Amino acid sequence: MEPTRWIKRWRKRLRALVRTDAVNRELDEELAFHLEMETRKNMSAGMTPDEAKREAKLAFGAVAKHQGDTRDARWLAWFPDLSLDFKLGARMLRKYPIITLVGGLAMAFGIFAGSMTFEMITMLQNPTLPLPDGDRVVKLRLYDVEESRAEPRALRDYLAWRQSLRTVTDLGAYRDLPRNLIVTAGDARPVQVAEITASAFTIAPAPPMLGRTLRETDEQPGAAPVMVIGHEVWRTRFASDPGVIGRSVQVGDQYATVVGVMPEGYAFPISHELWMPLRLQGLDQAPRAGASISIFGRLAPGVTLAEAKAELATLGRRASAEFPNTHQHLQPEIASYTGSFNANNTDVIMAVIIPGFAVLLMILVCGNVALLMFARAATRESELIVRSALGASRGRIIAQLFAEALVLGAVSAAVGLAATDFALRRWGGPFLVENMGQLPFWYDPHLTVGTVVYAIGLTFVAAVIAGVLPALKVTSGMGARLRQAAAGAGGLKFGGIWTVVIIAQVAFTTAFPALVYLEQLMLVRIQTFEAGFPSEQYLATMIEPGDPISLGSDPQAVAAREAEGARFQSALAGLRQRVASEPSIAGVTFIDRLPREGHREFLVELDTVAGAQSRVGTTANGTAKVPLDEIQAAHIDASYFDVVQAPILSGRGFTVADLVPDPRVVVVDQGFVDQVLLGRNAVGLRMRLAYGGEGPGTMSDQTRPWYQIVGVVKELGMGAPTQRGRPAGVYIPTVPGSQGPTNMVMHVRGDPLSIVPQVRAVANAIDPTLRLTKFQRVDQVTDGIQWIMDMWLRLTVALTAVALLLSLAGIYAVMSFAVSRRTREIGIRVALGANARRVVVSIFKRPVTQVGVGVALGGAIAGLFLLWVTSCGEGSCSSAGVVTVSRVVTLVLYSVVILGICLLACVVPTRRALAVEPVEALRAE
Amino acid sequence: MSPSPASSQSTPNDVVRGTLDLLILKALSLESMHGWAITQRLEQLSREALQVGQGSLYPALQRLEEKGWIDSEWRSTDQNRRAKYYELTRAGRRALGTEAESWRRYVAMVDVILSTS
Repeated sequence: MEPTRWIKRWRKRLRALVRTDAVNRELDEELAFHLEMETRKNMSAGMTPDEAKREAKLAFGAVAKHQGDTRDARWLAWFPDLSLDFKLGARMLRKYPIITLVGGLAMAFGIFAGSMTFEMITMLQNPTLPLPDGDRVVKLRLYDVEESRAEPRALRDYLAWRQSLRTVTDLGAYRDLPRNLIVTAGDARPVQVAEITASAFTIAPAPPMLGRTLRETDEQPGAAPVMVIGHEVWRTRFASDPGVIGRSVQVGDQYATVVGVMPEGYAFPISHELWMPLRLQGLDQAPRAGASISIFGRLAPGVTLAEAKAELATLGRRASAEFPNTHQHLQPEIASYTGSFNANNTDVIMAVIIPGFAVLLMILVCGNVALLMFARAATRESELIVRSALGASRGRIIAQLFAEALVLGAVSAAVGLAATDFALRRWGGPFLVENMGQLPFWYDPHLTVGTVVYAIGLTFVAAVIAGVLPALKVTSGMGARLRQAAAGAGGLKFGGIWTVVIIAQVAFTTAFPALVYLEQLMLVRIQTFEAGFPSEQYLATMIEPGDPISLGSDPQAVAAREAEGARFQSALAGLRQRVASEPSIAGVTFIDRLPREGHREFLVELDTVAGAQSRVGTTANGTAKVPLDEIQAAHIDASYFDVVQAPILSGRGFTVADLVPDPRVVVVDQGFVDQVLLGRNAVGLRMRLAYGGEGPGTMSDQTRPWYQIVGVVKELGMGAPTQRGRPAGVYIPTVPGSQGPTNMVMHVRGDPLSIVPQVRAVANAIDPTLRLTKFQRVDQVTDGIQWIMDMWLRLTVALTAVALLLSLAGIYAVMSFAVSRRTREIGIRVALGANARRVVVSIFKRPVTQVGVGVALGGAIAGLFLLWVTSCGEGSCSSAGVVTVSRVVTLVLYSVVILGICLLACVVPTRRALAVEPVEALRAE
Repeated sequence: MSPSPASSQSTPNDVVRGTLDLLILKALSLESMHGWAITQRLEQLSREALQVGQGSLYPALQRLEEKGWIDSEWRSTDQNRRAKYYELTRAGRRALGTEAESWRRYVAMVDVILSTS
């Protein structure tokens, strides 16, 4: 097309859009001209002026309709009318407040659930790195393909890559070193230290708030030890001291000078708070040896990840040839910094199930809103037919109902998104911290543009379901109804799709609270799961050795590990002695995991007299029962039972003499006696432990050591509160620290948390590298999980409430609609003497059947779900003792209650139906 | 299109569905004219056998203009009356050729089918 024509055409289009009135006037003028010409023609054929005009008009037909059709043929013809539709939509919100409230609330909740899910999944699955060119920042690692695990000892390779890699620039590395920071004497508190190369501040640049960042010269041998601190450390540990630069402070067992303070929020590479130079010269640079490091860099300009992978693969092959002993199975890998090394490793739950659930919820919600909208549209049938008669096409009417649904959807979206933002900011962070520990700096739960766009899309889908579907239904066959001029004569009916929607809605409402019930059970279990001793009087802290554990199986590494272990054990012994001497401390002991924190699980094998253990045992009272073979084990200090004041029920407790390197005695708890031994006497029996599966330490391994049970103790919070069933516990005596990090438990007179500073000071005096974290009262162990369960419970209750509200509104709409459609019929029936019962039966037969089917279906789903969840343990299902009378009665009662609530929604329409006067009914037409 | 009167005689007095665009293009290929004149021209060309209903004419004109096949402008008539005149664009002339050709093919095909014994 010639440019001038093209410009002209677009000018016309825009004019039609912007100056609708003027263009419409022109159309009127054009049609008037046509009529005038036709009239003139008729007059020249001999008609009188009046006759000619009438004939012309007759021949022309409905002017308004032609105007409408012509306008509809314009580009974006629907656009100008849309504003009117939106205005009408807004008016409808006010006119039908119940639908607005119920439908709006439901849609808002659907959008809230959808956008919340989308935001969390996007953040976790595909996070954006808030750095310049963040998508080009990469991480690199070595991967042992034979052992299927990463190899962190990659210092030699890092140096080689730094020399030769062309596709990745600013290559850097760091060591993750949790260390104690001792600002004032005696106040040692752990901080997350990164020993890092200066290139980190090129990859993640940020002007320091005070001083400077790390430089390459700081990494040189002999350079003065320096550190850069994070904003939070500066604020909390240095009291925001503006003169902090130049101060020499102890970190772990060395002193370093503060040279810079980073701005708030800076936490590169993960969630670090303090940065020190990574001095490679002092580290072992032999192939596959030395310190564990993490490597990062940035793709060179114009280079793709695939090209970098190819170059790295070449370097990997070269290393394999050069160091066949260490690098034969090592493969270098590269991935985006926040991504996964294994691109195919998509979490099905995260990627499919959760979004699927959210979409399903939205469809269900919208289906119900559609039901409400349909009912509303049906009551406006007369209005719609009049509009149609006045020339509105079917498309126009559908557009109008779509616009109305969109207005409702937009208001709901605004509410839903505001709720999402609030929830993300308020609970998103704590939720992730609770689940993932320290949060990487790129996770910042808040509403993002992507989610807003997603929510807008969702709103459109919702408006299509809730607006277009009912509109299609209402407008189908409208022409026929128009000809019959029979508005309100019962032309519209709730068809098959609506039946499905109602049944699904009721079933969902019935089934959903099963989840609430389950969560409630879990919460009650968490709250009532006792530690077995007055745990609120006890303070606990997790103690970790200062140095990262040496890796590898070469004699040097083994010796280093042993030395580190010995140092840790001796530090713990000293700590125990000093802390126990504090006047407010009644006792000090150690356990690998605190009561109710979840303990390591094993399979137990008993050394029975018969030599073989029968799967079916006999309880003390003679009934046959399958003994439990899954137990939980804890490594404890010999003093544990004394310090927690747990009485020994039979046999004896531990003594220091039991703390030999390979202890061969254990104490079991009452849960073990009741479930594993079925009440038999435990003391004197021999048992051994095994892991599940295959390989060393599993059932097939006959070299596993035997332990003799020397005593029985009461149940002391073995296992986790989220675990199903009663736990069975085994206690193994252990020298504190010989199994790695341990929990020190202190019985405190007075407020346990008040002695935290004293404990820190003592630990610092004994060994400044000891890291004491997670100071808490022992009864606070389940606070986190309780918080999560509580949050889930609230969410599920809210969801159920919305579903219930929607169901009731939907059913009410159906009932109300059924009555309004059949007003005349009811009147005639009553006039003919039909009794009230018959009228009720005939009118409500269909909706009541729908509700009944829905309740039955939902009850069945809930029943099966509860049965499945409560009967299936880890990997095995059993039906024994699951179907109890009380459970069946609960389920039936619950279904009856839901049925009752649903039927309650029918009361008002039923009463209205019976109150219809025959004369009034006939006059209604 | 005008409603066809109930008649046992099969006079094609109503514009066959889908051909109106083609007929308008043909009418305009002779000279530019306003809407009423198009109806008159088509009736005249068909010797009064065809009646173009105004209900279809103006939406069709709008549609053709939207496609870029015709253009319009307001001009004065011989009686000094303001009227909207339509004219064929170059794209419209090309379209007329292809549409006419495909119409002929269609008619020939229908004819072949009908003449099959």
